[in-house]
Amino acid sequence: MSQKEQEIKFISGNVAAAYAARSAKVQVISAYPITPQTVVVEKLSEFVDSGDMPAQYIKVESEHSVMASLIGASIAGTRTFSATAGQGLLYMSEMVHWAAGTRLPIVMTIASRGIAPPWNIWADFTDVISQRDAGWLTAFASSHQEIYDGVLMAYKICENEEVLLPMFVAYGGFVLSHTFKPVIIEPDDKLEKFLPPLPDEKGWPHIFIDPERPMMHGNLIMPSGFYYEFRMKIHDEMMKSMHIIKQTALEFEKIFGRSYGNGLIQEYKMDDAEVALINIGGLALQAEQAVDELRQEGYKVGSVKLRHFRPFPTEEIINIAKKVDVIGVVDRDTAFGSPTGGAVSSECKSALHGTGIDTIILPIITGIGGREVSVEQQKEEFKKLIKLKETGELPKDMIHGTLWDGILEVK
Amino acid sequence: MIEKKIIEIAFHGRGGQTAITASQLLAEMAYESGFKDAIAIPIIGAERRGAPIQAFSKISRDTQIRSYSSVTDPDFILIFDTTLLMIPRVFATIKEGVILIINSNLKIYFNNNLPKNVKIYMVDATGISLKHELAIEGFPILNIPMLGAFAKVSGFYGLDIMEKVIKKKFGSRAEKNMKTARDAFEMVKEMI
Repeated sequence: MSQKEQEIKFISGNVAAAYAARSAKVQVISAYPITPQTVVVEKLSEFVDSGDMPAQYIKVESEHSVMASLIGASIAGTRTFSATAGQGLLYMSEMVHWAAGTRLPIVMTIASRGIAPPWNIWADFTDVISQRDAGWLTAFASSHQEIYDGVLMAYKICENEEVLLPMFVAYGGFVLSHTFKPVIIEPDDKLEKFLPPLPDEKGWPHIFIDPERPMMHGNLIMPSGFYYEFRMKIHDEMMKSMHIIKQTALEFEKIFGRSYGNGLIQEYKMDDAEVALINIGGLALQAEQAVDELRQEGYKVGSVKLRHFRPFPTEEIINIAKKVDVIGVVDRDTAFGSPTGGAVSSECKSALHGTGIDTIILPIITGIGGREVSVEQQKEEFKKLIKLKETGELPKDMIHGTLWDGILEVK
Repeated sequence: MIEKKIIEIAFHGRGGQTAITASQLLAEMAYESGFKDAIAIPIIGAERRGAPIQAFSKISRDTQIRSYSSVTDPDFILIFDTTLLMIPRVFATIKEGVILIINSNLKIYFNNNLPKNVKIYMVDATGISLKHELAIEGFPILNIPMLGAFAKVSGFYGLDIMEKVIKKKFGSRAEKNMKTARDAFEMVKEMI
C-alpha cells in the first residue's frame, strides 16, 4: 500500500488512472468493465486483492449500479472512484445527475470512445460531453502523467467545502488508454501534503448516513420548495470552483513540480503568437509538437490546452482572443445541431459575445471515432488559420461554417 | 547509425504472437537504458488469434515524445510472420534505408522488389521459442527472441537491460525468456 519513494513506471494511461486512485487512498471502488476503460478497474481489483490498497471493491451488474453504489458509499462519507466510457457512461447517466444533485465529491475517469451506432470504441469525447449539464466538473488529460496528476487534483478540488461536486477526468480511448509511457508515481509523504484528509465518521459537511440518526434525502420537492434554489447553488458553486481549480494547480506545482497552466487552461508559446489552436485531450499535447515544427519554419503560432470544459473558463478564452487575431477551436466530439457542430467551439464563440473583440474563431472538428490525427494534419490546421488571418479567406469545403478536418468525401 | 531525433519501430505480427507486448517492452527497455522518452502505440481493433496485428514504438534520446499517431515511416520493422510480407500495405512500409528483422529460418527472395539500402536481418524466433518451450497453448511466444535480435542489431540496449525488464514483468518465467533472448542475440544474422 505504501509508496515510500517516487517511482517511474512504464504504464498505459489506464494503469496510470488506477495508480492515481491508489495514490489518492480511495476507499470505495465500484466497477463494471467496458472497453477501453476495463484495464483501470482490473488493475484496481489487483491492488485490492493483493492487499496493496485497503479499499472496498464492489462488483455490480451495470454502470447504472456502479454510480448508484458510489452514491451510497459517498453519502456514508468515503472517498470513491470508478471508471467508465461510451455506452457505459450513457447507461449510467441517470445516476450521474443524481451524484451531482446530492453534491457528492465522486471522481470518475472516462476513457472516451465514440457513441454507437455504428459501434465504435476509439477516442471521441462525445460520451463525456453528453453529460455536460449533469453538474460534474469536467477535465481533460493530454498525457499519461496528466491522467495521474489530474485524478489527484480532482479529489482536492471536489472535496473542497466550497465545491462538493463530482468530477470527470477524461482522456482519449486507445490514444491514451492503451499507449504506454513513463509515469511518475508519487510517494506518500508528498501525497499527504497535497491531498485533503480522508473524510472522518461525520462524512461530508452537508450529508451523512448514521443508523442512529435516520434521515431521508433526495425526496420529492414541490415547485414552491427549494428545488429551484438547489439548482442555482450547483451553478453558483461550479462557477466559484474556478478559483479552487486555479489554487489547486498552483499547490500541485509547488509540491510536485509539474505545471498545468492556471489549472483551467495551459498555454504553449502564446506570448508572441499571431494565431492559436485550442484543443482538448491528447491532441493538445501533439499540437505543441506542431507549434515547434512550424516555429522552426518561421510561423508565429501558439497552442492552448483546454483542461476544463466544466466549469468553462470564459475569462481565459477572452484573454486568448485578445492576444491573437484568429483562433482555431478543435472539437474531438460532435454536438449535432449546435451553432458549430462541436461543443467546445460553440462555447468559445459564446464566450466572446458582447466583448467587442473581433477575433475570428474557426471551428474545427477532427478525429471523430478515433480517426487518426497526425502532427502534419495539425500543422495544416495552423496554416489554414494563418491564411485566414492574412487573406481573410476561409478554408474550402466548410460544412455549416465548420472545418471537418480529415473527413472522407461523402456522397 | 541513425541521425533522427525520434527513432520509430514498427511491429507486424499475428494475433497471439505477442507483437503488441513486444512494442511495450522495447519502449520500456529503451527507456531503462537511458533514452529520455519512449512510447508504445498498439493499433487495436477487433483482433483474433491469427489476424494481422500492428504496433509501434517511438524512442527518443533527448526530446520529449508528444505525438500519439502511428508510424508511417519506420526506421526498423520487425516482422513476426513472413506471410505478412505478402500483404501489400505491410510491404509498402518497407522504404529506403529501413532495417528489417524477420522471424524466419529460410532465406527470403524479394526478387529485386526492395527499395535501396534496405538491410535485412533474420532470426529463427519461432525455433528458439520452441526449443526453450516458451509457448502458450502450443503457440510459440516470439516477443523476447525478436527483442533479443533487435538488441543486437540496433545496439540500443543490452542483454542486461533486457534481463532487468523481463524479471520485472515475468517473474518466475524470466529465466526461460532470457534464454530465448540470449539465443536470438547470438543467432541473428544479416541476410546477404
